Amino acid sequence: MSDPILLEVRGLRTVFDTRAGQVCAVDGVDVTVQRGECLGIVGESGSGKSVTFASVMGLVRPPGRIEAGEIIFEGTDLRKLPPRQMQALRGRDIAMTMQDALTALNPALTIGLQLAEMLDAHADDLPRRGAARRQAIRERSVHMLDLVGIPSAGDRLGQYPHEFSGGMRQRIMIAIALASKPRLLIADEPTTALDVTIQAQVLELISNLRTELGMSVVLITHDLGVVAEHCDRVMVMYAGQVVEEGPTDSVIRAPGHPYTRGLLASIPRAALRGQPIRPIQGQVPDLIDLPPQCRFLDRCPHADKDCRHLIDMHPAGPGRRARCIRTELFQTERAKA
Amino acid sequence: MTTDPLLKVTNLTKTYTGSPGTIARLLGRKPVQVRAVSDVSLDVARGEILGLIGESGCGKSTLGRAILRLHEPSAGRVEFGGTDVTSLSPPDLKAMRRRMQIIFQDPYASLNPRRTVGDIVGLPLQLHGLSKGREDMREKVAAMLEKVGLKAGQIDRYPHQFSGGQRQRIGIARALISNPEFVVCDEPVSALDVSIQAQIIQLLLELKREFHLTYLFISHDISVIGYLSDRVAVMYLGEIVEMGPVESVLAAPRHPYTQSLMSAVPEVDGTRKGQRVRLTGDLPSPLDPPSGCKFHTRCPLATDICRQRKPVTETVAPGHSAACHRLSENLSLLEGAAQ
Repeated sequence: MSDPILLEVRGLRTVFDTRAGQVCAVDGVDVTVQRGECLGIVGESGSGKSVTFASVMGLVRPPGRIEAGEIIFEGTDLRKLPPRQMQALRGRDIAMTMQDALTALNPALTIGLQLAEMLDAHADDLPRRGAARRQAIRERSVHMLDLVGIPSAGDRLGQYPHEFSGGMRQRIMIAIALASKPRLLIADEPTTALDVTIQAQVLELISNLRTELGMSVVLITHDLGVVAEHCDRVMVMYAGQVVEEGPTDSVIRAPGHPYTRGLLASIPRAALRGQPIRPIQGQVPDLIDLPPQCRFLDRCPHADKDCRHLIDMHPAGPGRRARCIRTELFQTERAKA
Repeated sequence: MTTDPLLKVTNLTKTYTGSPGTIARLLGRKPVQVRAVSDVSLDVARGEILGLIGESGCGKSTLGRAILRLHEPSAGRVEFGGTDVTSLSPPDLKAMRRRMQIIFQDPYASLNPRRTVGDIVGLPLQLHGLSKGREDMREKVAAMLEKVGLKAGQIDRYPHQFSGGQRQRIGIARALISNPEFVVCDEPVSALDVSIQAQIIQLLLELKREFHLTYLFISHDISVIGYLSDRVAVMYLGEIVEMGPVESVLAAPRHPYTQSLMSAVPEVDGTRKGQRVRLTGDLPSPLDPPSGCKFHTRCPLATDICRQRKPVTETVAPGHSAACHRLSENLSLLEGAAQ
């Protein structure tokens, strides 16, 4: 437990071979997750945020493949782990909840059975076999549903996913993910399909459970508001790369990359009535055969000829890094304002 | 509020009757009835944007469609520019549709994948006899595509060749090509990424100015509604619980549901006032709505009267009304936002 770093991804490159060419969905991504922290991953569709963590979970299937990189979880490179060991680890040590709870749960099985399946595979503190084991699994299942706030949990184990509302299904998926007490929970857009009042409930639940169980959480979202309220650190992704990372408050107060700035300026707010919002022009580039230059170039209001070469991440203040040659300029501008 | 509303909706109700299964019918069970929209009245003035906000299943889309008679209202009246839309004959309704249009939420499902953009956007011109032949139609479509930020040269492409934001632009072009006065925008930006969402909002506001449009803007996102609406109506389980000028409703929300909705929105800049209001539970099933005030099952302020009697709508400020039994007590769930 002495190592403060739980997960470290270095130089991850995940590609998909398509008829049109090779799509590089994740290109040289580094991620560090500390023990006990909540890391927010922000990006729009196609930014590679989900594929990055599907790669961590070993869930990338052909035509996709991980081409390069190391995924070190508690000192072990998951890419070098034999499939059986990876399978044992997946779900037990790292769990993931999917965006769409309705399609992620099996509609033909009761939720009791889906919880039991997880516990049977991963919980190693239960009696080995027989009635005692079944009893323990049932008790643990009820406990998990209680924990995520599902009323009369015992009675509801025999129900099917369609008998629950969207918010309830998301909670059930969180219960299943947490049943084995993982050290890392990857929550992929856990509230995107939910209404705001339910979203607030689910996010609060994840926060409370994080403290209670002492786990780390990676929260993948497109909503900077969610990140601002729930994450210690944030990583912004664009077109398969990390473009900015750092402590949430600091990044939101003084973004160091024009894309982060654009995202923040794009959020409509009642306070901005009457003022035009300044949307980012254009759209995300095609990820096939990207030229060796800044990927945000075509949409960036500050771009010039100096941006027409490969740009690396570089330090941008305490605990911060950004992938832009003008970060310092933005930050001094910000300080003056 | 205004003397000459473009759209006047009075006591509009939409009930859906589910067909019971064979077994239920044999057992003599009655068909299930869902009151998706219940006794809604509202006005929209010419040139105004009325924002309609609520959670999924609250009936906001049904209301938008019932106004256009895309879903036939069960009771109530819709007047548009002085004409009673609810009693129009099919040919008259068709003529009226030229003036009242809709932009749909899902830019993938709302465009026919087998038709070119030219056909999709040109169809309203054909239906309403607004073009003189094929060449004229193509010219008009091309001009409209340019207006919504697409290229005239893309006229022969198919929907799948466009991104989500571009498809939404096609949907907007289709709605506006017949030169309507009123457009129902049914969650037009909900399916889009943040940066694209901002582009489409900006486009809708520009087009509104250019074509002198009036919008009923449906959204579940209070930030979007707060940014672009003049007035806002808050719906809960088929009813409007609060309505008024956006400054008044958002600055001093009076209904506990509006208050909790506002406090649930995560803010990037920490502008939320006071503590977060915790709403427990889910939206009740519209099949079996709660008695009295429909919000009482989730309301932190609910008392016995809320469980028994339906609250009446009262005026709380100029043009601002709300329906809650406890309005007179001036309670607020939002610390620091109380009047």
